Amino acid sequence: MIAVLALLAGVLLGLWLDPTVPSALQPYLPIAVVAALDAVFGGVRAKLDRIFDDKQFVVSFISNVLVAALIVYLGDQLGVGGQLSTGVVVVLGVRIFGNVAAIRRHLFRA
Amino acid sequence: MSERGVVNDEQGEGRRGGRGFSADFLTELFRNPLDPGYADAALRRAQRGQPGRAGWSVSPVSLVIVVLLGFLFAVAYRQTMAEEPGRAQARSGLVAQIQQRQGETDELSIRADALREEVNRQREAALGGSGAARLRNLEASTGLGKVRGDGVVVRLADAPPGQQPLSGAKVGPPQVLYSDLQGVANDLWGAGAEAIAINGQRLTATSTIRNAGQAILVDFRPVTGPYEVSAIGPGAMRKRYEGSGSALTMRKVAQDTGLSFEVRDAEDLTLPAAPEPQLRYAQPAVSTSPSGADELSGSGSSPSPSGGGR
Repeated sequence: MIAVLALLAGVLLGLWLDPTVPSALQPYLPIAVVAALDAVFGGVRAKLDRIFDDKQFVVSFISNVLVAALIVYLGDQLGVGGQLSTGVVVVLGVRIFGNVAAIRRHLFRA
Repeated sequence: MSERGVVNDEQGEGRRGGRGFSADFLTELFRNPLDPGYADAALRRAQRGQPGRAGWSVSPVSLVIVVLLGFLFAVAYRQTMAEEPGRAQARSGLVAQIQQRQGETDELSIRADALREEVNRQREAALGGSGAARLRNLEASTGLGKVRGDGVVVRLADAPPGQQPLSGAKVGPPQVLYSDLQGVANDLWGAGAEAIAINGQRLTATSTIRNAGQAILVDFRPVTGPYEVSAIGPGAMRKRYEGSGSALTMRKVAQDTGLSFEVRDAEDLTLPAAPEPQLRYAQPAVSTSPSGADELSGSGSSPSPSGGGR
């Protein structure tokens, strides 16, 4: 419950502050969002599995976002940015799907 | 490592082996999407004898991360929304540019028409008398001059949509095809027409009637239905045309498919001039190899720059 409130607070903060993203960072924003979603669903699933771990959650969030951004940066430098972004999205998307399926089994037993 | 399978596995699939690099990375990814770190942490806790925490309490660090997450989502949302008007702006800018250019084109073509008339006037003044009359006649018959006169109008239109063919006869679709227009135009020429225009597009000796996808192009300009083929010619033209192949065919097609085809007399038709044809001149070939030069000189007179026809 507190986590949901914190998420809402973060959203409100973002809407209220309305920061401008430097144009150099703009390509990384969508990838960062996907990586963050992966960390969130992983965390929720771990919570439901009763194996949630704060440190693991924090580290996985930060490293996910950083690694995703790094891969996209590397891809941009190598001229295969689009393909590498697709790869990142596919891998993270598979994980998100798997974790959401596990959460669904937890919540609905189906 | 055997506990991890117990802790972690919802589907009851056995988890293979250790954590080392698995050659079957994708299979592993699909089978077990949860970060293995969670299982490891749980295992460590179990070994130390701490109970796993239940409920929804989270530590402050995680809360900060969650706030950060919400922030990230909000920023990404704002960013995407902020880009939207930019795209719409670009699109409307392009639309405005297209319209402006079209307007400019219209103005320029009007100006070109005016200038062409001016040229004609000057030329007639310069030539005077019989020369000018001869030129006018030539222009009328080649389609380069505006002509007026009596003639016939052949009107073709697609069958209204949704209408079933009146009979099962195999005479083609209930739409006007480019070949229908070709046939009508050719048979009108054959019936003695002196000038023909399709939807205001004057036909010349080099005109084309083709189709591109669904559209019919006359001289590479699209025409849309209903199609009116206007022809100026002698009084007997209509009768002769009615007996021609395309008229008979189209009447049959109209009966069977429901498209409309009618021929009527028209008085005082005005057919516009065809656009000035692009004059192409032969150029003397510039050859670098000596053998080519030999061939050229061997062929006798080289084409003069101004003498080439279209």
